Amino acid sequence: MTAAGISLRPGPATARRMARVAAAGRLLRLELKRNAVPYVLPLLAAAFYFDTVRTADGFPPVWTLRASVIGDHMLFEFSAFAAGLAAWAGSRERRRKTLDMAATTPRAAWARLSVTLAGTLCWLLLALLAGVAVLYIQTALQATWGGPPLWPVFVGAAGVTAVTMIGFTCGVVFPGRFTAPLVAIGVLVLYQTGLRQALGVTSSSGTYALLSPANAPPSVDAGVYYHLAPDVPITQVMFMGGIAIALLGVLGLVAALRQPASAGGLRSLRAALARSDGWLLRGVAVILVACGVAASWTAFALAGTAKPDATGGWQIPALHSAASDHPMPVTQDCTSSGFGVCVHPAFSFYLHDLAAALDPVAAEIAGLPGAPTRAEEVASVSGGQDVQSGISGNPPVFEFTAERVGSMFGQFYGIPDPVGWREGFQQGLLDAFLTGRPPHAGTVPIQLGAAQQAVEDALLTTAGTNLSATIGTMLQNGQPVAGPPAAVSAAHRFATLSAGARHAWLAAHLAALRTGKITLAQIP
Amino acid sequence: MNIEISGVTRRFGRNLAVAGVDVEIGPGVFGLLGPNGAGKTTLLRMMATVITPSAGTLRLLGRDPVRYEPRREIRRRLGYLPQNLGYYPGFTVVEFVEYFALLKQVPPARVAAAVAAAVERVDLGGKARAKLRTLSGGMLRRVGIAQAIVNEPGLLLLDEPTAGLDPEQRVAFRGLLRDLGQRATVVVSTHLVEDVGAACTEVALMDAGKIVFHGTPAELTARGEGTTTAGDAPLERGYSAVLLESRS
Repeated sequence: MTAAGISLRPGPATARRMARVAAAGRLLRLELKRNAVPYVLPLLAAAFYFDTVRTADGFPPVWTLRASVIGDHMLFEFSAFAAGLAAWAGSRERRRKTLDMAATTPRAAWARLSVTLAGTLCWLLLALLAGVAVLYIQTALQATWGGPPLWPVFVGAAGVTAVTMIGFTCGVVFPGRFTAPLVAIGVLVLYQTGLRQALGVTSSSGTYALLSPANAPPSVDAGVYYHLAPDVPITQVMFMGGIAIALLGVLGLVAALRQPASAGGLRSLRAALARSDGWLLRGVAVILVACGVAASWTAFALAGTAKPDATGGWQIPALHSAASDHPMPVTQDCTSSGFGVCVHPAFSFYLHDLAAALDPVAAEIAGLPGAPTRAEEVASVSGGQDVQSGISGNPPVFEFTAERVGSMFGQFYGIPDPVGWREGFQQGLLDAFLTGRPPHAGTVPIQLGAAQQAVEDALLTTAGTNLSATIGTMLQNGQPVAGPPAAVSAAHRFATLSAGARHAWLAAHLAALRTGKITLAQIP
Repeated sequence: MNIEISGVTRRFGRNLAVAGVDVEIGPGVFGLLGPNGAGKTTLLRMMATVITPSAGTLRLLGRDPVRYEPRREIRRRLGYLPQNLGYYPGFTVVEFVEYFALLKQVPPARVAAAVAAAVERVDLGGKARAKLRTLSGGMLRRVGIAQAIVNEPGLLLLDEPTAGLDPEQRVAFRGLLRDLGQRATVVVSTHLVEDVGAACTEVALMDAGKIVFHGTPAELTARGEGTTTAGDAPLERGYSAVLLESRS
């Protein structure tokens, strides 16, 4: 065949296919242009700002933590709007009494409804992605390490798609002007109070609740020291995607069966089902329902096998990759002068504040046996257990976790307390030094004896922390309580000693102080 | 014949809306007359493939609308204006007609021209970009007619098309009907007998679900001659005479 013999014109089948695509594109353009979603976007944007954005502002600029608001807050707001707007769109033909006109067109009801659905879903997903972009751009401007995680976005998109499908199906099946607000309220209530319980109520392990995208924020360093395993997001996407696919199939069946069912009761329905025409449509719908149910059921079953992993998250054995459990290689950011402080680069935004807090305290104890020569941030979870700060190694190193970094933020929930934040790190260092405890696993923090507490208060005072309000306080069951007057008196006495005298006394009595053999009366 | 109806019955629960109608309709404008509740709209909805008959057979454009693929073929060549016209208030005139043109599978390349032609034919060219919520009842009725004719249907079913139109528009619409009747089968359901007299070549009168008269408007007029039945115009007297006779 010569080049001249090759026809550049599309064949009849190709032309028909192109015409169908072009027609669907034009219908979608009309649906996008006249959709109700843009009218509600300002309201959605306000809810997004006052809840999602301000909550994210309260978190440190760590990607995983900031991205957690997509499932926990953003999806909550979007769900109510998405379900209500989709129900409004789904009920349109009946509400507006155009069903008879539309039903006399050759385009299948399923195709017609799908275009309306696609218009609504496109707007909602665009709104979601715009919201994610705002969150991620804000985080990118503040974060010092890492990049935007994509799984929360997939979960958010799957969640919006699922609730849109639920709302739209409700609108098609129960058309009416009250359907949209009722569906929106129903989804809101389900999401707020019932979803986690509904998912967890039949379980023996309780891990079915992991299918809900609304979960408590992860630890502050999740996804920092270890890869965040995608096991749970995969099951969530599978679960919600399955619901969406099944409901798309239901829409095909509702549309296919409505006409004969409404035409003349059961006899007419049986007659319609017996006819061979239209089986292709119904067959595809049934396959979609079956695939969707299978995907959701598989996700449900997988969630039941979840177990805690070594990094503080959840693993699902069938989906888990062992590579997620290995620590991520990273070079820490360190201060170069004074008391050396090193943190993960994800937290380098607070490195200099932290060094400024620890420097004076470290200077007070410098040279004493077991006094740390530097401080190093470590993962807050190891082997599946929380890590408590402590001192270890030779030369000694104060190992601390980043959980207090969160106290630097939280403008939305309360004014941050810089003094409390600074004091928290200083106390952590002195707690470890005065007890000689190495870093250890478990949830119980270090508890000081009366003499140790008095010495710590005195050292904090001399390091420049204003302890007038808290001096003499002790921790009892983790709660600060006023210490006995003798403790307050001892702390004052020790704080008024000269630096040399304090140092000399500590050098002589540190071992006894650590073992709890020093009484308040013995403090000079 | 473009419409062949044989023994068609339609029930809604215990209510018999259409009771064994037999009629054949060829090209031209066919008027379906009758009082309120006679079954005109139900018969028209069956012809429009919106609902199926409870009994009897129906063939449209030579095809069986009960079967899926022939039904689609019929619908490609069908135009339907329902009695209660629904519309999307946010759409413009052009968008609404375009929406139905696309649903009727008018080839995308021809949609713009078909929409413009339909809008012009109902004399709404000046309101093409107006939102439907801003239009009067008569204009909305014309939008409904535009969507019905946008695919140049072979079978056009119009239920009370002149309701809400002013006298000038009704005159223009009758002209449009006669024009459409040159190329297609047009069935007009109405209870306004003057519309039938002016535009229809054939007429049927329904009462209590049955066709009680089938003929030309002149034959219907003749049925009223020499009677004392109510009516200002000859056709109205024929209409009243047939109804009186069928009920006696």
